[in-house]
Amino acid sequence: MTLSPKMRTRMTVFWMLLPTFLILIGFYLFPTLYNLELSFSDITLLKLKKGGDFVGTTNYTEFLTSSSFRDIAINTVFWLTAISVSVRIVLGLLFALLLNSKFLKSMRLTTIARLMLLVPWATPPVVAVIAWRWLFDPTYGPINSWLISSGLISDPIAFTANLATVWPAIITIIVWNTTPLIGVSLLAALQTIPEDLNEAAAIDGANRWQQFRFITLPYLMPTISVLTLMSVIWTFNNFVYVWLTTGAGPGTFTNVLATEVYMKAFIDLRIGYSAAIGVSMAVVMAFFGAMYFRYFGLTEMQDKVG
Amino acid sequence: MRHHILTKLLLAGTVLAMGAGSVLADANLVFRFNDSERDEMRAALDEFEAANPGIKVELQTIAWNDARDQFLRESAVGQGPDVVHIAFVWTQEMAEAEAIMPLDELTKYGELPNGFDDFIATDLTMYEGKAYGLPWTADTWAMVYRTDVLADAGIDDLPTTWADLRKDSEIIKEKTGKTGFSFPAANQVWFPANYYLWSNGGSFIEADGNGGYKVGATREQIADDMNYFKGYIDDGLAPRSILSIDEPQDPALMQGLLDGSQAMALMPTNTYRQLLGAYEQAHPDEKIPFNSGIMMAGSQAPQTHLGGRTLAVNANTEHPEEAWKLVQFLSSAPIFEKYYTNQFPAQKSLLSKIEYRPEELGFAKEPGRSHPHLGCLCR
Repeated sequence: MTLSPKMRTRMTVFWMLLPTFLILIGFYLFPTLYNLELSFSDITLLKLKKGGDFVGTTNYTEFLTSSSFRDIAINTVFWLTAISVSVRIVLGLLFALLLNSKFLKSMRLTTIARLMLLVPWATPPVVAVIAWRWLFDPTYGPINSWLISSGLISDPIAFTANLATVWPAIITIIVWNTTPLIGVSLLAALQTIPEDLNEAAAIDGANRWQQFRFITLPYLMPTISVLTLMSVIWTFNNFVYVWLTTGAGPGTFTNVLATEVYMKAFIDLRIGYSAAIGVSMAVVMAFFGAMYFRYFGLTEMQDKVG
Repeated sequence: MRHHILTKLLLAGTVLAMGAGSVLADANLVFRFNDSERDEMRAALDEFEAANPGIKVELQTIAWNDARDQFLRESAVGQGPDVVHIAFVWTQEMAEAEAIMPLDELTKYGELPNGFDDFIATDLTMYEGKAYGLPWTADTWAMVYRTDVLADAGIDDLPTTWADLRKDSEIIKEKTGKTGFSFPAANQVWFPANYYLWSNGGSFIEADGNGGYKVGATREQIADDMNYFKGYIDDGLAPRSILSIDEPQDPALMQGLLDGSQAMALMPTNTYRQLLGAYEQAHPDEKIPFNSGIMMAGSQAPQTHLGGRTLAVNANTEHPEEAWKLVQFLSSAPIFEKYYTNQFPAQKSLLSKIEYRPEELGFAKEPGRSHPHLGCLCR
C-alpha cells in the first residue's frame, strides 16, 4: 500500500511525537490518574502493602467540611499567594524600571546591579530559608541585635513564632528569593519597547507617568500576565517556604494546602485523604488558569499593544 | 586426556564452591541510626565487623522527623535498611504495616542472653500476640538545676510543685536578674504541658472504653495548663524568644544553663548528659554545678512519660540472620559502656549495673507514666 505524501508527513510527525507522548503518559498522566485513584480510597502508609478500600468521595467531603478548611484556604489564597505574588510583581517591576533607568547607566552601575539582583534568585530555597531563619533568630539573629542596639525594641522578637510577624516573615523570604526572576523577565520585556515611542510621546507633551501608564505598562502587560499566572500556580502549590520556616506553625497558624498534604500523608499517614487534597489543589489551579486566560488572555494583551 | 579433564573439572568445581561459599558468608547490612552519636556508633560497628569478618555494616542516618514515613514508604516497595532504629511507639504500626519482622522468626538464629523479659516496655512491641522489635534505649524527661544560681538566689530546697517552680523563678529574677525556669515553647512544649496536665488529674486523650479515644481534660484544665507556661513569658520570667525554640537541646537553652544565666530546665536523659559533657569540657577542673530532680507535682503526684527506642529488622532484609546478630550486638552491655553512653539501656539487667552520677539521680528516680508497672529507671 502506498501512502499519499500528506499521509506520509502525518506518519512522520506521529512517530516523531510518539516518544514525547509516551514520556508524558508515563511521567505525568499515569501518576495523575494514580493519584486520582488513591483519593477515592482509604489507603494509609500502614496499608501500602495491603492496599486501601474504595470510599467514594468521603475524603473530599471530609476535607471540604473540616473545621480547619477555612483557615487553610485563607492562608493559602490570601497570605501565601495573593500577598506574596502582588508584592513580587510590584517589586519586580520597580527593580526592572530601576535597572533600565538612565540613572544607573550614567552611574555605570547597570551590570553590577543586575548581578546583585540575581544573587537571591541563584540561592536554593532551602539555603535561603535557613539563612533567613538565622537572620530572624531571636537569640543570635542580626535583625534582633540591630533592633535592640538601635533602641527600637527592648525584648527580641521571635519573628517566626509570633502570630503578628510570622506571615510577614515567610513572605519576606519568598519575595527575597523569587522577585529577581520577575525583575529580570520584566527587564527583558522593557528592553523591547521602541525608544522612539517614548520620544514621540514626550514631544506630544506626555509626562513620565503618562509615558509609563500608556506606553510602558501596556507593553509589559503580556509579560506581567504570564509571570502572574506562573507565580500564582507556583506559589499556591509551594511547600518549601512555609514548611522549612515554620513547619506550618505556630500550632497550625501558617498551615497551607501544600503543608496540609504533607502532614496528612506523612504525619497522619493518610495517603488517600492527602491525595484528595492534592487533586482539589490541581482542580482549583486549572480553574484559575482557565479563568485567568479568559479574562486576562495573552491574545487580548497582544491586541492592546497592537 | 581424561586426567586433564578431571583436573579441570575439579578446579572449576573448587572455584565455583569458593565463589558460592563467599556469597553465603558475605553480607552487606545497612543500619539506619538517627541519633547524633554517629562517630561513636561507627566505632561500635567497626568492632562488630572485626568480630564478624563476613558482615559489613553501612551506617545510615536520617532526621528523626522523617524516619517514620521514610521507612514505611521504603518497606512498602521492598526496600529499606536491614536494621532500623525506631521510636518505642512506632513499633506496633510498623508491625501492622508488615514492615518489620516478628522476633520469633529471628530468635531461631540465636536467643537473647537474658531473654525477652529482661527488656522494659515490651508491651509496646506487641502486635497481634507477637513481639516485633527489641527495646533498645529508655529515656524520660526530668528537671535540671543550676545549683550555683539557686544558691545565689538564696534557694536551698529544690522546688517540688509547679507552684514552687513559678515562685522560685520569681525569686531568681528578683534577686539575680537571671532566668529561673525556661523551656522550649514551640513544638515540644507538648512535653511539659502534658506533665502539668497529668499531675493535675487531666490528660489530653484517654481511652473511651470502646477501642477509641476521647479528650481527657476539661476546657478549664487545658486553659490552666496553657496559662501556666504562657505566664512565664507574659510576666517576663522567661525570654519571649523561647516561643521559637522547638527542642530542649536548642543551643539557646543549653547556653543559658552552661553560662549560668538560667537556673532551671527540663530535658531528656541524653540532652542532660550532653550538657554535663559540654560543661566538663569547658571547665575541666571545676565542680559540676548541676543537679537533677523529678518532675513537678500538681494537685496530684508528678508524672512524666517513659520513652525510648526500638531496634527492628526490616521484613524485606535478605540477611535476617546477620541482621539479628547485629541487633544482639547493639543490645549488649559494651555498647552502652563504651559507645552509646548518653543513653540508658532498655534492659533491666543493664540498668541495674549503671553507676549513676550524683547529679543524674533525678533521672534515675523519675517515674514512668506510660508504664507505671516499670516503676522507674532506678536500680
